[in-house]
Amino acid sequence: MEGKKIKLAIGIGSTCEGCGIAILDLNEKILDLASLADIVYWVLGLDFKLSDLEKFKEKEIDVSIHHGTIRTSEHVHVAHLLREKSKALIAFGSCSCFGGIPGLCNVTTREEIFEVAYKQTPSTINPEFVTPQTKITQNGHDLTLPELYDEGRALSQVVDVDYYLPGCPPVVELIERLIPIIKDFLETGNLPAKGTVIASEKTLCDECPLERENKMLDKIVRPHMIIPDPKRCLLEQGIMCMGPATRGGCGARCINVLMPCRGCMGPTAEVSDQGAKMIGAIASILGAEKEKDLSDEEIERLMDQIKDPLGTFYRFTLPVASINKAFQKKGAK
Amino acid sequence: MEEKTKSRRITIDPITRLEGEAKIEIFLNDEGDVENAYFQVVELRGFERFCQGRPVEEMPRIVPRICGV
Repeated sequence: MEGKKIKLAIGIGSTCEGCGIAILDLNEKILDLASLADIVYWVLGLDFKLSDLEKFKEKEIDVSIHHGTIRTSEHVHVAHLLREKSKALIAFGSCSCFGGIPGLCNVTTREEIFEVAYKQTPSTINPEFVTPQTKITQNGHDLTLPELYDEGRALSQVVDVDYYLPGCPPVVELIERLIPIIKDFLETGNLPAKGTVIASEKTLCDECPLERENKMLDKIVRPHMIIPDPKRCLLEQGIMCMGPATRGGCGARCINVLMPCRGCMGPTAEVSDQGAKMIGAIASILGAEKEKDLSDEEIERLMDQIKDPLGTFYRFTLPVASINKAFQKKGAK
Repeated sequence: MEEKTKSRRITIDPITRLEGEAKIEIFLNDEGDVENAYFQVVELRGFERFCQGRPVEEMPRIVPRICGV
């Protein structure tokens, strides 16, 4: 076994590369990773080209990590390459696991995005409304671009995925868990059960340090409206917090600096739609103590206090949510 | 001529060690000097559009995902 290493590839979709930086944030532990794995493809960290990935034989790579949303034809190509060339494929980060923040593009269309980004933004001067084309000829040279799709997708909506490591970006404590998994694979050939999510099986509320008093909510507030009590549950103080609908494992990193959870870890195992779960959780505590006395108008008034339900409840998971289908049918809006 | 033109094209895809995806196409003339070079950004996410409708206080938690490096 001495000196034997696995082949590890890191491929991307539409990404901010925060996931790549999170891997580098392993710091000295990256040496443990390097002692177990030869990195054979990594755009951010090393100098490999797409053609290097294309040259691998089927299943020649042992483990591939994918991060980023599937947004273009090139992302689909990379996803299929990683799947075909790898024995195990890990969706890494919220974009790859659930579609992530770039997946919010599903509220709109490619044409609307072009219109805003290349025409309407105040800093843009583009009188001829030049927009990206998949093929142009310039000075006699053919130039191509990947096709941008209307829709953003999670990796699992394009290829078969073996494991999930959520977070935006995943915390180092969870990334470190890959090291013994890779070590075990190298030494015994064993891999975890397919579909394993490398995170907590409980909700964020289970690891949240703030105190809950099981109080009912009579109002929802925006951050500038109150100074929160730093010891009490933010949701019970009226601040929208996705904790009840979100998988734990992040160490309550946002809560520890009194920022409410936005749900980057995605739903827990028994929940398929994170936003629907959160809406249910809120409905059960919002003015419920007095619910019998509330008129329809009062209930509506309370629900109206939730600003931007879509961007709050589906911040990181819109492409994999059931509500996503409604957007795809209607197109824009 | 077609073949010659093709062999005088240098493609760097992707450009590495950065956030955002890009490629470079370099075209050489008969003397082997650079005739034209193109830097192409090969993706767009549309933050400009999908940030519309989100509360202003959420922007500091959405737009950092433009670049995480």
